[in-house]
Amino acid sequence: MKILVTLKRVVDYNVRVRVKSDGSGVETDGVKMSINPFDEIALEEALRIKERGDAEEVVVASIGAADVQQQLRTGLAMGADRALHVETESAPQPLTAARILLKLVEREEPGIVFLGKQAIDDDCNQTGQMLAALWDRPQATFASKVELSDGKASVTREVDAGLETIQVDLPAVLTSDLRLNEPRFVKLPEIMKAKRKPLDIIALDELGIEDAVDHQISDFQPPPKRAGGKILESAGELVDELKNKGLL
Amino acid sequence: MEERIDTLPRLPVSTDTGDLEHYGRDWTRFWKPAPCGVVFPESTDDVAELVGWARKTKTPLVPSGGRTGLSGGAVASRNELVVSLERMRSLVELDEADASITVQAGMTIGEVQRRAVDAGFCYPVDWAAAESSQAGGSIATNAGGIRVLRYGMTRDWVRGLEVVTGAGEVLELNRGLIKNNAGYDLRQLFIGSEGTLGFITRATFGLAPPPVQQSVLLLGFADLEAIMPAFALLRRQLSLSAFEFFDQASLEHVATHTGQSSPIETECPFYAVVEFDDPDGSAQERALEVFEGAVEEGWVTDGIISQSESQVQELWQWREAISEAIAVHTPYKNDLSVRISRVPTFLAELDRLVEAKYPEFQVVWFGHIGDGNLHMNVLKPESWSVEDFHTACNGLSEQVFELVRKHEGSLSAEHGVGLLKRDHLAMCRSESEIELMRRIKQAFDPDNLINPGKILP
Repeated sequence: MKILVTLKRVVDYNVRVRVKSDGSGVETDGVKMSINPFDEIALEEALRIKERGDAEEVVVASIGAADVQQQLRTGLAMGADRALHVETESAPQPLTAARILLKLVEREEPGIVFLGKQAIDDDCNQTGQMLAALWDRPQATFASKVELSDGKASVTREVDAGLETIQVDLPAVLTSDLRLNEPRFVKLPEIMKAKRKPLDIIALDELGIEDAVDHQISDFQPPPKRAGGKILESAGELVDELKNKGLL
Repeated sequence: MEERIDTLPRLPVSTDTGDLEHYGRDWTRFWKPAPCGVVFPESTDDVAELVGWARKTKTPLVPSGGRTGLSGGAVASRNELVVSLERMRSLVELDEADASITVQAGMTIGEVQRRAVDAGFCYPVDWAAAESSQAGGSIATNAGGIRVLRYGMTRDWVRGLEVVTGAGEVLELNRGLIKNNAGYDLRQLFIGSEGTLGFITRATFGLAPPPVQQSVLLLGFADLEAIMPAFALLRRQLSLSAFEFFDQASLEHVATHTGQSSPIETECPFYAVVEFDDPDGSAQERALEVFEGAVEEGWVTDGIISQSESQVQELWQWREAISEAIAVHTPYKNDLSVRISRVPTFLAELDRLVEAKYPEFQVVWFGHIGDGNLHMNVLKPESWSVEDFHTACNGLSEQVFELVRKHEGSLSAEHGVGLLKRDHLAMCRSESEIELMRRIKQAFDPDNLINPGKILP
């Protein structure tokens, strides 16, 4: 079985995001970019499935400009076998991304497509679900545990009421939640090996997809500044303050 | 004593048993905390008034910051009155044109760092205890930490001090100036004074521009001899901000303490956390070449590299959590420094010495090897009592310091002298030096009431 894992290049989780002064987007110049953490978890799980002997090949894919190859190389250094770079200068929205991924699925015929449950830049949480619909295959989202047997995946999902375990027939779309695993570090010798692993660049028109933009973002605003705290002298003052605010 | 405390000027005081223990000690555990009380001044005037009162009543005072010290400098075990600066923690001024921040002495270094970042700067002196240690204490101990390699010690960032001397005078030292050659620079005497000359009540620190993105390597070394040539190679090829080493024992203690498994596959005798500038990700490529070179030379056997900011922090944990991880073993700490080139020989000789004398002691090594600074931690075997262990370590120290003397090093690189190294000061300072120190102490603290019994034998 083959597993296809998507890797999105996003502003690093620990970087304090700043809105550009003209409100046209988020500052990315000189900002640390990393693999979307949920995608990294998806890749880790795919690698573990392969290491258990339940898959033969792990392929990583990313959509974007040339710089996404940095994240693909990281994926290869973590242990993926091959990488696919779908080249486009624009930032596809979930539906376009799902259409592109469907084309990759038709070419690669994976048993599992593993995505992060959402990307931390736009928090859309749509691409995996849309891909499953377009592909007409089952989906198991928000996975916190994955077990494979007899062509089925048993997936434990984190839902509001607790944990829910569902079984889906493969091929299927899986998306990872935070507690699925802890991704490994990249070993330096593996980076050297990763340089020799294949990375195919695919033009968007080669897939017969138009770079459709389904919506446009007109403005970005940073969240309003929080008002500073106030230090009170006594418990009595605190009670008064709370009463004044109608909180008591 | 109780009566005396009653005469204290209108300041918050505690004589609660728990407080006495809490405020009476630092991170050392060799002396029983026994202060007569803890007082919390809220302004420089309060401190000055307090010193005046102490002179009248002949009450010894122990200045107290975050008490994360490792040499007993803030220990009050002889009925002293502890003066905690923790209520004096306000920001006084952050000046963007001067690139400086002025704070009251009780602000934590973590808070100083955050204030600097909020204003688009960075306060670059950093260590594991930054969230607990305070500005005043960091100056009184001239704290170093993990980025001395690039940024130097606390001393390099202190632009001005307000102090209350042991005579009760309030002095403004250097007033935030960068250039000031008008006479002796008394500010420098307070930096590293371990609270023996007076109280630091306010400090002005210089600020650095924010650092560019950093990447971190965790390297495993083949042996001790490999570390220095590998360091030299890395320093030539990358813009290093830290090169911190630790041994396999350190790694195991952190793994046990945090419940994580080793991030590196190959077990190596020594490791280093190497941090370097990586503004656009291109330095990783160079790091890889250096790694290949070091592997070919046989110096380095394995390594990992951070791919995200969270991995930078995770990798740092393997170095930063060591002190906390070994704390349960009542470590006897030696904080030694020699010239960088002498580190391997010095370390090997030290290891042989302990092994011959106390084969049952485990020694954990880590430190700022890029600064020639080694933290030697002797762990107490469970069956030993703290007293016997301390006595044995003191005896051992004599021989350790002999080695320090032989290699022309220092017996306290950054932890200070406090109580722990006081009786050994002569091993690295001449008699005339110590005599001059005494006279300086007397000039600032004529009644010997401010942190008496520390530093000077």
